[in-house]
Amino acid sequence: MDRQGLDRPHHQLVVKGQRGSVEMDVALELTAPWTVIFGPSGSGKSSLLRAACGLVPGVQVEFRRWDATAKSGQGDWIELQGPARSLPTSWRELAYAPQGTAIFPHLTVKQNIEFGWKSRGAFGKKAGADRRFVEEAIELFAMGPLLKRRPRELSGGERQGVGLARAFAVPKAKLVLLDEPFSGIGRGMREALIPAMRARLAALGIPALSVTHDVEEALLLGAEVVRLDAGKVVARGPAKQVLADERVAMMRTLIGDD
Amino acid sequence: MDTPALELTLRLAGLTTLCLLLIATPLAIWIARGHGLVRRVVQAVVALPLVLPPTVLGFYLLVGMGPSTWLGQALIYLFGHTLAFTFWGLLVGSVIYSLPFAVQPLVVGFSGVDRAVVETASVLGASPWRVFWRIVFPLSRTSFVTAAVLTFAHTVGEFGVVLMIGGDIPGRTRTLSISIFDHVQEMNYAAANETALWLIALSFVALLVVYGRGAAERRSELG
Repeated sequence: MDRQGLDRPHHQLVVKGQRGSVEMDVALELTAPWTVIFGPSGSGKSSLLRAACGLVPGVQVEFRRWDATAKSGQGDWIELQGPARSLPTSWRELAYAPQGTAIFPHLTVKQNIEFGWKSRGAFGKKAGADRRFVEEAIELFAMGPLLKRRPRELSGGERQGVGLARAFAVPKAKLVLLDEPFSGIGRGMREALIPAMRARLAALGIPALSVTHDVEEALLLGAEVVRLDAGKVVARGPAKQVLADERVAMMRTLIGDD
Repeated sequence: MDTPALELTLRLAGLTTLCLLLIATPLAIWIARGHGLVRRVVQAVVALPLVLPPTVLGFYLLVGMGPSTWLGQALIYLFGHTLAFTFWGLLVGSVIYSLPFAVQPLVVGFSGVDRAVVETASVLGASPWRVFWRIVFPLSRTSFVTAAVLTFAHTVGEFGVVLMIGGDIPGRTRTLSISIFDHVQEMNYAAANETALWLIALSFVALLVVYGRGAAERRSELG
């Protein structure tokens, strides 16, 4: 998929049903290279990502991916989950950095980052070529000096970095899901990482769907923003537009004008 | 020292442990995964051998696998005789008798593995098989040791079930605990004492392994 390929719809996600105290009713078509789901905590943001992974039983989920090579080049929607079938989680070709990182506590940083690569048949001819995804992720998140460490020896920010590198190292993922990807990472670091991550995904032609409750982060990402409240989409569009009110409020605080 | 009995006991306990780990692992994974009524019922059934007198279990196994049931008929058809008074009958009895000692520690171990970690592994592309061997098993290693040692020790110490199903056939179904009983009946207290001391030592070492490992694990988690 090239960069232009991302400007057409690439995924469709429909989630309906009760999830805890939230009644979810979302129908999303993802078109932008990077889509941010923005909303207060408890609005059902994480549930959307988890539903795409097939990790939310008891709600009605439809999840489709545009496959340009299907129907001998005409392209077609491939159903990952829907009324007809539901692909197992591990077959959905997703990369995922969950909230709270969920680092594998018994593996070294290197083994954590390699996990996706090794899970997708890291042997034979393909393995050597796919190894570059691991190397590039290590470089992108500056994990080099930490490779031999165990998760319990890491700071919160470093753990977050491992979680992100682990997601970015998944070879040939079709969609990257990031749940509060920058929590625990300092502002300076975040401002450096965002353009690097966007450039990396653009070069690979992999779209991203991330979740945040942080206005500044959503604005920095300059992505398509989907605003979620109590399980429903209340606004959608470019970040500056959807978050206009918050932006003004933020600037006021910066200037010190109450 | 009754050497054939010792050999038989170790063989029975070893095979029981092996069989039980294979049976208890999927069962414990299933029990640890949810909270439904069916799972609670199954958990209660698994725990039954803890509270039942071993003779009750042995009695039903003897009757259940005897020639008057379809199971017994099937066994006769397959092997030419029922499992009663054979080593394999003992093995079946021991597996059922020690089931809770394998299942309970594993349920505790699997429940302690962070769900998010398991889910993330599978989203990143790991098959259920790989998730088990690379994530769940290493994170619940201590529980496997506990389950194995408790099963082994418990099988070494069983008496009622073995006597009911196996009878008391030297070299075939006479285990150490039954050998002690025989010695006492023959008023041969010295021999009984020797065998009993062996059993105490064996059990003590087994428990030492369980508690020793537990402590080592806690230290490594803190360190």
